[in-house]
Amino acid sequence: MLHYAIIVSYLLLSLALVLGFIRLVRGPSLADRVVALELLASLTVGFIGVSVIYSGRAPFLDVAMVLALTAFLAAVAFARYLEKGGQRSDH
Amino acid sequence: MIIEWLTGFTIVVGSGFMLVAALGVLRMPDLLTRMHATTKAGVLGAGLIMIGVALHFASGPVLAKAVAIIAFLILTAPVAAHVIGRAGYFMGLSLWDKTTVDELKGRYDEATHTLTSPPDTDTPPDGQGRA
Amino acid sequence: MIALIWNIALMLIWVALTGSFTAPNLLLGFVLGYLILGLALRDTPEFAKYVGKVPKFIGFIGFFFWELLLSNLKVAYDVLTPTHHMCPGVIAMPLDAKTDGEITIVANLISLTPGTLSLDVSSDRKVLYLHVMYLVDRDAVIRSIKALEARVLEVLR
Repeated sequence: MLHYAIIVSYLLLSLALVLGFIRLVRGPSLADRVVALELLASLTVGFIGVSVIYSGRAPFLDVAMVLALTAFLAAVAFARYLEKGGQRSDH
Repeated sequence: MIIEWLTGFTIVVGSGFMLVAALGVLRMPDLLTRMHATTKAGVLGAGLIMIGVALHFASGPVLAKAVAIIAFLILTAPVAAHVIGRAGYFMGLSLWDKTTVDELKGRYDEATHTLTSPPDTDTPPDGQGRA
Repeated sequence: MIALIWNIALMLIWVALTGSFTAPNLLLGFVLGYLILGLALRDTPEFAKYVGKVPKFIGFIGFFFWELLLSNLKVAYDVLTPTHHMCPGVIAMPLDAKTDGEITIVANLISLTPGTLSLDVSSDRKVLYLHVMYLVDRDAVIRSIKALEARVLEVLR
């Protein structure tokens, strides 16, 4: 039962990653791309959660924690850069 | 047995919400509405998956880590949305055609990066001006 | 604050005495410590306030997750149906929260509840700018957010 749930979750998350990636490529502005990157990071956190259940190796959760942290810092740094005179528009 | 069903249920529902978040990011018309999709559905999706992880292992350290990740997501996702939205305003973002009012427009000081409050907070200013 | 520290101390004593450091036992220790504080020190104002706060806090957590679920269903409905039903807008809401910590928590919770996203706080900290998804009735939206804010401040103060 749990096995099928894991497969379904993997499928849903993979599809979500593809959709997020389309937005990352399409833009249109740099801020939209940062939002897409944020989403990809939290999708990866979810992905790691499912694979922790699948593999039974709880220490992998640390990876999810660090990823959530760095993704947040990256978003803040990007926003700072955009605000303080980065490229005004990239399309 | 019940725990197994619950775990499966939380991770599938969590992944479903994450897919909704991704669909929202793809389909929503402008930056601000896209951020609605990522903050809410992203936090709920990842949070549900972490609850599933905690249920599956049911041990102290894993529970602590799962709770820490959920607390971290709840604290940071809105802050990230705030800094990106703010940067968007400085970059001169264009809002969706059907946006009704924009009371934030023109309130940022481009030189000092401060934000003024509306002159009279009881009556909204005529914020029809769009980029 | 001092009451919370005492409660945690009682919890740790319980865990040390029973000798099992597990999540259910920690929770049991916390509940027992809470009951002891509530019974033994109910005449001390500091502790009496704390005893009233804990159920409010738990009620608030429940309320918050319910709102988070509702907000997601609403957004999910709009994302999954082919036409957009939104009429978004950016509005200014006067703030009752005063300190930085209060404003941060209120703004974060507003971002996670239905249809609203906090964008920025004015530099004089009087106004919070919000992006609202379904801005049909501006006053009704502000009233419901004000109710949420009052609830948060009740727990914090």
